[in-house]
Amino acid sequence: MEDQLRAAFLRMKRQEAMDIVKAEINRGTDPLVILNACRHVMEEVGRKFETREFFLSELIYATEVFKGINTILEPLLKSSRENDLVEGSVVFGTPKGDIHDLGKNIVITMMKAHGFVVYDLGIDVPPEKFILELLRTGSSILAMSALITPTFEAMKEIIQRLKEQGLREKIFVIIGGAVTSELVRKEVGADAQTLDPTEAIRLCKNYLRARR
Amino acid sequence: MIYETMSGRERFQAAIALEKPDRTPVMPLTVSFPIRHQGMTQGEAWRDLDKAFQATLDTFDDLGGFDMLPKTNIYWPMLGGRFSNAPVRNLIPGRDLPEDAIAQIDERELFSRDDYDRIASLGWNRFWEEHYEKMSGKSLKRLGAVQHQLLQRYCREKQVCEDRGIPVLLGAAVDSVMMAFSLSRTLTQFTLDLYEVPDKVQAAMDASCDDLILNTLDTIAITNIPLAFIVLERGSGAIYRLDIFERFEWPYLQRFVDAFVSEGITPWFHLDTDWSLNLPYFRKLPKGKCVADLDGSTNIFRAKEILGGHMCISGDVRADMLTLGTPKDVREYCERLIDEVGKEGGFFLTTGCECPVDAKFENVRMMIDIAKTYRGKH
Repeated sequence: MEDQLRAAFLRMKRQEAMDIVKAEINRGTDPLVILNACRHVMEEVGRKFETREFFLSELIYATEVFKGINTILEPLLKSSRENDLVEGSVVFGTPKGDIHDLGKNIVITMMKAHGFVVYDLGIDVPPEKFILELLRTGSSILAMSALITPTFEAMKEIIQRLKEQGLREKIFVIIGGAVTSELVRKEVGADAQTLDPTEAIRLCKNYLRARR
Repeated sequence: MIYETMSGRERFQAAIALEKPDRTPVMPLTVSFPIRHQGMTQGEAWRDLDKAFQATLDTFDDLGGFDMLPKTNIYWPMLGGRFSNAPVRNLIPGRDLPEDAIAQIDERELFSRDDYDRIASLGWNRFWEEHYEKMSGKSLKRLGAVQHQLLQRYCREKQVCEDRGIPVLLGAAVDSVMMAFSLSRTLTQFTLDLYEVPDKVQAAMDASCDDLILNTLDTIAITNIPLAFIVLERGSGAIYRLDIFERFEWPYLQRFVDAFVSEGITPWFHLDTDWSLNLPYFRKLPKGKCVADLDGSTNIFRAKEILGGHMCISGDVRADMLTLGTPKDVREYCERLIDEVGKEGGFFLTTGCECPVDAKFENVRMMIDIAKTYRGKH
């Protein structure tokens, strides 16, 4: 099954991938096994993107296929052992002042494919909402995405609030999006910055590994 | 200060023709920045376009003047009832967004995959005449009236600028065919379309290209500014592999350039995202007729190696540097740009994409001052 799925994903054949998944479900395959297979394929897509064999469009395509499959599997997984696969949890959002979410959504799907639980706060998110969500979920990673410069102030404020609440040392803060850079990372006080979805995942995994 | 022997327009024309002007031409792409600099909110500016225009002029003066004003105000000049850009919903500060937010696009699907066949049979203009009201819930007649008013306003403002000796850059803004379709479908859905129904996409694009060109020519006939500002951030190698670029972006760009250049119009490629992979294609365009305007994502120094002696390059002081950097950072970077990209001419010093609303005034001022004072090592 994994080989068939791999072929469908890598050749950008969405319908074919969906049909394989549906056939496996009908055959009684454990949905978790199907999800795992898809995750392995998505990891390969990520590697191909990292090595420049794949372009962003192929990453976008694969994440859409994965999202579609997830929609089918999710109701079946509720009663399954979904949590067995949890890598870590992330609170993710586009800070106040910015309504862009394309990059954020790609990274979120990639993160889910890599076993992260992601709490997506959406766009134009006020600082207090990030803090409340981190407290509610106990997540140890905060990810923020930005396409316009006014979000720098919002990022700064969120990180300042983390400090005030004594949470800063417990939370890994990663930022991304076209206007971000190393200069921005330093200025807002984040731990990491990247424009590459696969690097974002690697940085988060490295953090979690170091913390264990 | 460098002794000046050319006007801003002459300097600009020399750069496009790959000649070496008396000094480096400079232009920050100011749109929302002047509004905040003059102490207004973005919402106030959108409600009172006269005040927004005045803010643009006052900021131009406060910055000590520069070679061209990119455009006169915060809105985009458009042709009444016609579309040279995808008719996206713009979210306006004070109305759809907080009072001092910057205007942003609410990207959503404007037509469905099923509509490609209809576009292929009707063309871009007739499709939107049929589809716009259904899609937006708004009156096409009213849109046309608003666009017409804005275009007339733009012409009046342009005249005021020219009377003051300030040339205005933008004659018309047009989306590349790929950009127009991507914005109309959203980047994600359009990407799925390219892989799943490529022939339908191409047929619709084939039927739309001439309309986009004609709409642009019509707008320029009214503004009387021979420059087409072509927005094309979606077709680059940062997003698509070259076979997709070759099929869905490049042929239409060539048609744009042929049509515009034959009418004496300068194609200004507003190349947001990283175009490094695609730059060699641009060498096939007519020499000394176009501008590659880079936003800081493409390596501008590498771009000079590829396009130098063939196409004018514009760019690329990054938004984060203007917002968070120091005047020293800006000075050092601009000097490097002048030394390396400005070497032997064909260079226009600009902000990488729009000058950010929260850019530090002293940074923008530094960028302009360097162009006026630094001769370069060559």
